[in-house]
Amino acid sequence: MSDSLLLNILLLSPLLSATLIFLLNISIAGVKQYIYTFLALMGSGISALLALYISYFSYAENQVLGSHLFTWLSIENFIVEVALKADALSSFMILFIAPVSFLIHVYATGYMNKDKSYGRFFAYFNLFIFFMFLLVLADNPIIMFIGWEGVGLTSYALVGFYFEDIKNTYAGNKAFIVNRVGDFGFLSALMLLFIEVGSGGLSFDAILSNIGQIEPSMLSLIAFLLFVGAMGKSAQIPLFVWLPDAMAGPTPVSALIHAATMVTAGVYMVARFAPLYNLTLDVSLFIAYIGAFSALFAAIVATRQFDIKKILAYSTISQLGFMFMALGVGAYSTALFHMFTHSFFKALLFMGAGAIIVAFHHKQDIRELRGIRESIPALFVMMFIATLTISAIPPLSAFFSKDAIMSALYASGHIELFIIALVASLLTVFYMFRLIFVVFYSKVKQAGASNSRSMIYPMAVLTILSIFAGLLNVPEIFGGNLNISNWLNILDKQFFISHSDEIILMSVNTLLIIGVIFYTYKRYAYSDTIEKESEHSLVANKFYIDEIYSAVIVKPLYALSVIFDKNISHHLIDNTIHRLALYYEKLGVVFSYSENGNVRYYALYMLFGVVSGFTYLYILLRAAL
Amino acid sequence: MLQEYMILSIILFCIGVVGLISRRNIIVIYMSIELLLNAVNLSLVAISADLADTSGQVISLIIIAIAASEAALFMSLFVVLFRNKSSLDADLFDMLGSKK
Amino acid sequence: MQNEIIFAILALLTIVSSIVMISAHRPIDSALAFIVALICIAALFGLVNATFLFVVQIIIYAGAILSLILFIVMFLNIKDENLPDEKNKNWWLLGTSLIVAPFGAILIDLIVRSDIAVNMVPAEGFGGIKDVGLTLFSKWVLPFELVSILLLVALVGAVTLAKRDN
Repeated sequence: MSDSLLLNILLLSPLLSATLIFLLNISIAGVKQYIYTFLALMGSGISALLALYISYFSYAENQVLGSHLFTWLSIENFIVEVALKADALSSFMILFIAPVSFLIHVYATGYMNKDKSYGRFFAYFNLFIFFMFLLVLADNPIIMFIGWEGVGLTSYALVGFYFEDIKNTYAGNKAFIVNRVGDFGFLSALMLLFIEVGSGGLSFDAILSNIGQIEPSMLSLIAFLLFVGAMGKSAQIPLFVWLPDAMAGPTPVSALIHAATMVTAGVYMVARFAPLYNLTLDVSLFIAYIGAFSALFAAIVATRQFDIKKILAYSTISQLGFMFMALGVGAYSTALFHMFTHSFFKALLFMGAGAIIVAFHHKQDIRELRGIRESIPALFVMMFIATLTISAIPPLSAFFSKDAIMSALYASGHIELFIIALVASLLTVFYMFRLIFVVFYSKVKQAGASNSRSMIYPMAVLTILSIFAGLLNVPEIFGGNLNISNWLNILDKQFFISHSDEIILMSVNTLLIIGVIFYTYKRYAYSDTIEKESEHSLVANKFYIDEIYSAVIVKPLYALSVIFDKNISHHLIDNTIHRLALYYEKLGVVFSYSENGNVRYYALYMLFGVVSGFTYLYILLRAAL
Repeated sequence: MLQEYMILSIILFCIGVVGLISRRNIIVIYMSIELLLNAVNLSLVAISADLADTSGQVISLIIIAIAASEAALFMSLFVVLFRNKSSLDADLFDMLGSKK
Repeated sequence: MQNEIIFAILALLTIVSSIVMISAHRPIDSALAFIVALICIAALFGLVNATFLFVVQIIIYAGAILSLILFIVMFLNIKDENLPDEKNKNWWLLGTSLIVAPFGAILIDLIVRSDIAVNMVPAEGFGGIKDVGLTLFSKWVLPFELVSILLLVALVGAVTLAKRDN
């Protein structure tokens, strides 16, 4: 099999299965559920296997696979090729996207079991994978933008999946509209890039090799606008508001789209444009600060949330903030590696939360989910491991990735960023263990239903991955050789940090984390502290950010729209058009008298035409005769 | 002679057009059409004589043949129309129009 | 000179009988006037040596087609009440004439201004049956065949149309 064929199959198999499921779903009523299951798992399974193969190929042989599908547009020097490229970065992305997608598909077959929209769900889900692959495998930013919009679209469709409840639809709308702001930035950046360096070709390689020609201020603007896109997709301040609401979708959607894959697209994009950001240090620093504030802000908010999925959503924002911090100081491969481990443990946490929700009659409030450890021991173990992982306890995977971020921040010389990151990471430990201790360690007990095996097994696999994924990128201080960083081979900034400093950092970090765990245990385990926490505090209400946005942006815009609607649209435009239509109709009535059905009248009209045309020509040409 | 023939042909053609449009009697309309064809024939024959080329006359011959087939169709059409409405008024046959 | 006089008489006769044809109230009058016009046109053909067409015009038009028209008029047994009552007929004729007049005037003007005549001298036997026949079956054989198909179609069409629906 040729290499490009592999890539094409990887990309198209989810699309094919999505199409088949969709066609089956709309054309035949009462298709057996196992047919959908088979199609969905085939689509994602084939691509997962191929992704593993392609990544291994790229890792071991260091080769870049490419596939040119067709030329989409060719207008003078504006040539858009639909082409795929699996270089190290893309291969790395599909290395975790494809298997995690497959596992969550398996999980979803259990979660969505007997749902009346089972087929529709998997059609969207497979379509999402297709667009995600398109996003990470695209060879030029325009195709990437198609994937970018496609994942946004499927995310919208899946957030509002249970559209019978209007609240879900609103959440979907919010996600979509907030993302439009980001997409506007991304699209503007693409246009500017085309204006500046479009003549040299539009593939990533061509653009990145030509960015030296752009003057610095324009380059900064482009970098900033690109990051606005990343802000929207990766839910960073100030465009993060959609992500907590997006939890209205089914839990597998939250696990796959809003934790493991789609929200990391912003990180991927910034890493993809790493050479550009290396030239614009001011924008990079801005990214780092945005990441830092997002991490801190989301972590603070998460400490006072009661909805299990909301906690995890804010945790996702916070973790993405960590990644952007690392990107901002130039530690691209570190950020990507954290994204890699994050996708495993955050997917695991969401799947655990979903399993709990299913087992306990769709309760999501952690105060109502107390004392459930005895009825679901396996889930408890896996959730506990995932929480330890996100807390960065050695030697679990996130220890390696988060510690690398910490060292990079420390070594970059931005001590304020380092302190923010440290506080945020301790808050992470706090809110995650608050969740664990409140839900699992309680005096009261309650029993729930058991989960199906198709939900537990994928979680077990992810648990193993969460524990051991860190071993892929062991720093040299532990005798490792940073395999992934070397493979990715991005233009990382080199930080020097002495081994003794690094060991001190790690030990202090770990000790602080363990201290926080003990504090949290004292505070929440077997106690009813949680009941006393107010739902109306500043933090629990997310610092009123939603309300502020509503008052500052949404309400004025709405008022303006009403004014436009009433005055301009209704009175000016509608009335004018209605008048015109009325006159046309009246004119039509007049003309319809001429259509009386007598052919000799028609001949008369024709004669009029011929005679007048003839006379006109004669007058015109008489001089020449 | 050519100019005179052409002028006569034009006059006959105009008379044919007037008859075609202003009369309501189907038979007269039909004869007006025949007059149009004859006017054309006249000019063709005149040109043919002027150029000493027989082709014009052959075209006239073909036109006469077409007129003959047209006559056959028209006659059967008259029979049908007259049978339906017992009238030769062309204005009665206005199903093409928008009014019902 | 003699030819010009004959032409003037024939032309006048043709025009007058045509006008009578389009303005007569009863179709039978129109038909009779039309016969006069057709015969005059046939004579005009003969005046420019188109002897074969002269014969054809008399046989087919004046003979076959006109007798067909007369036959139909008789066959349908058209009474006066069956005729359309054309109260405004003369106004219509006048109005249409006014519309057509500029058209005809311009054409005549163009013909008079331009010098289109080349006055070739015809060969011996020009316009005779042999001459026309040779041209028809050499240069115009395809239109000739097409016309034969057209006649067949018209024949079938006429029968189909006139057939009574049962």
